[in-house]
Amino acid sequence: MFEVISSLLKYIFITVIYLFIYAIIRMIYLDIRMTNAGRSSGSTDMPYLKLVNRRDDLDFKVEESYMLAGRLTIGRAQGNGITVADPFLSGKHAAFTCKDGVCTIEDLKSTNGILVNGSKLTEAPVALSDGDRIHIGQLDFLFVAGRRDKK
Amino acid sequence: MKAVRRLRPVILIILVNIIGFGLLYFYKKPYDNYILLAGLAAIFLIGLGYSVIKFAKLGDGYLFLIAGMLSSMGIIMLYRLDRDLGFKQIVWFAAGIMLFLVSCLLFRRFRIWERLVYCYPLASLLLFAVTLFFGRSIKGAKNWIIIGQFSIQPSEVIKILFVFFVAAFFKLYEGKFSEAEVFRIGKLAVRPVHVLMAVSFLHLGFMVIQQEWGTALMIFLVYFMLFYVFVNDRLYLIINAVLASAGGLAGVFLVNHIKIRVDTWLDPWKDIAGTGYQITQSLFAIGAGGFFGTGLGLGRPDFIPEVETDFIFSAICEEMGIFGGVAVVLLYFILTYRGIKIALSIKDQFTKVLAFGITLVFGFQAFVIVGGVIKLIPLSGVTLPFISYGGSSLVVSFIALGILQAVSAGPSGKGET
Repeated sequence: MFEVISSLLKYIFITVIYLFIYAIIRMIYLDIRMTNAGRSSGSTDMPYLKLVNRRDDLDFKVEESYMLAGRLTIGRAQGNGITVADPFLSGKHAAFTCKDGVCTIEDLKSTNGILVNGSKLTEAPVALSDGDRIHIGQLDFLFVAGRRDKK
Repeated sequence: MKAVRRLRPVILIILVNIIGFGLLYFYKKPYDNYILLAGLAAIFLIGLGYSVIKFAKLGDGYLFLIAGMLSSMGIIMLYRLDRDLGFKQIVWFAAGIMLFLVSCLLFRRFRIWERLVYCYPLASLLLFAVTLFFGRSIKGAKNWIIIGQFSIQPSEVIKILFVFFVAAFFKLYEGKFSEAEVFRIGKLAVRPVHVLMAVSFLHLGFMVIQQEWGTALMIFLVYFMLFYVFVNDRLYLIINAVLASAGGLAGVFLVNHIKIRVDTWLDPWKDIAGTGYQITQSLFAIGAGGFFGTGLGLGRPDFIPEVETDFIFSAICEEMGIFGGVAVVLLYFILTYRGIKIALSIKDQFTKVLAFGITLVFGFQAFVIVGGVIKLIPLSGVTLPFISYGGSSLVVSFIALGILQAVSAGPSGKGET
């Protein structure tokens, strides 16, 4: 009896161990991929969002920084300017609008809302200033205004 | 959903423990309820360690999980080989996890570690002296100190002290390693590199006196790697390599016990009943396992002498198959990868060298012993970190991991920005 159980369970046992290794290697893979992607975008005068989270804590692909220009939506669905597969994001979660050196963030009726510097956003767009902390879904971004509007 | 996603690797470890210990429960009649208890204890300890890391935000979440997986496989295997050993290993595992957290916190709390440069070799020297005078020989090597019921293997501690020394030494002469003078003898200026070499070869010499060629080889590999990475000097690199090879060759030709090791490595079949018995049994065991192994409890790894310490890898290969063995090697791979990644991300010289050194200790130790039991390199008796039976080995590995964990959490005081 024991022989039968043991010889069946060995396959499951090894499968579970490999699933564990797979789970960790997947994180490593996402991590390396994003490290390489982040390197290509050099310094710029444009305003951008900088990710504050430790990326290897996140289970999905997200980049180290996102450039902002014009109107850019962020969400889980394809077709957004910034698409992140974070399960806490709505399909179309928020929109960034940059015009004449002023950037605003607007909540697009998302389920989980947006926090800017810890306070929840209402429906009206809010202007961002350098160093603002934006919390969307599980993501924490730091807003960095470009050099242009710092003067 | 968030919690489930984050915890996934942890759940897999728990599953491994449930399957392993559940199976062991039915292994022998009468059924032993303590095995189930031990399994629950293992699951609880891993869960505890992981939650502390997660909630206290102590940096890298994977190091501990990888070590936890390795230890789980080790404990399950040890329980299958010998219930008493398995039980003792669980106790050591508990102590290891406590010390893991303690060393992590102490390392973050105090900042004196990099200033104790010459204290580390002195401590090592003291340990050497104590072992030499009060040491007890177990299995040919005089490397045990017996205190009451416990036997401690000081060489396990010494290798970590050595890494600490190298790290503190590099920090001391950061940026002026090739110009600085430590002291002068007449017209000869003694450079840091000379001191480093002297201390390192002193360690190697003492290891050789204690007949611990495996640990000596490992310390040399770690030292050589650190030298290669952090000292930009090819001439001294070659000098180091030549000196160590000369020492190794002298050992092969002059020390009988090493000569036998090398001979059995080259041809174990010549004296299969005598010197080659252990390694051939190990090879048979690995061969008998096939791809998926015989199944837990169905092989005969007990034919291999010292299967619970040095040769546990063969037992894993026999009962969990070559896939199980490869999984163990892969786990060491990702452990080393995480360590190197942590080392790369740090700016401070001391913690950088320390993180890299500790990673190298894990990596090379696994290489030396796994290579030994599969007859890739001559066999030398070091333990497989986190898996082999042995209190000193398991506890010291966890302490070293705790330091690596502390380093990964970034500069102490505040969390990452």
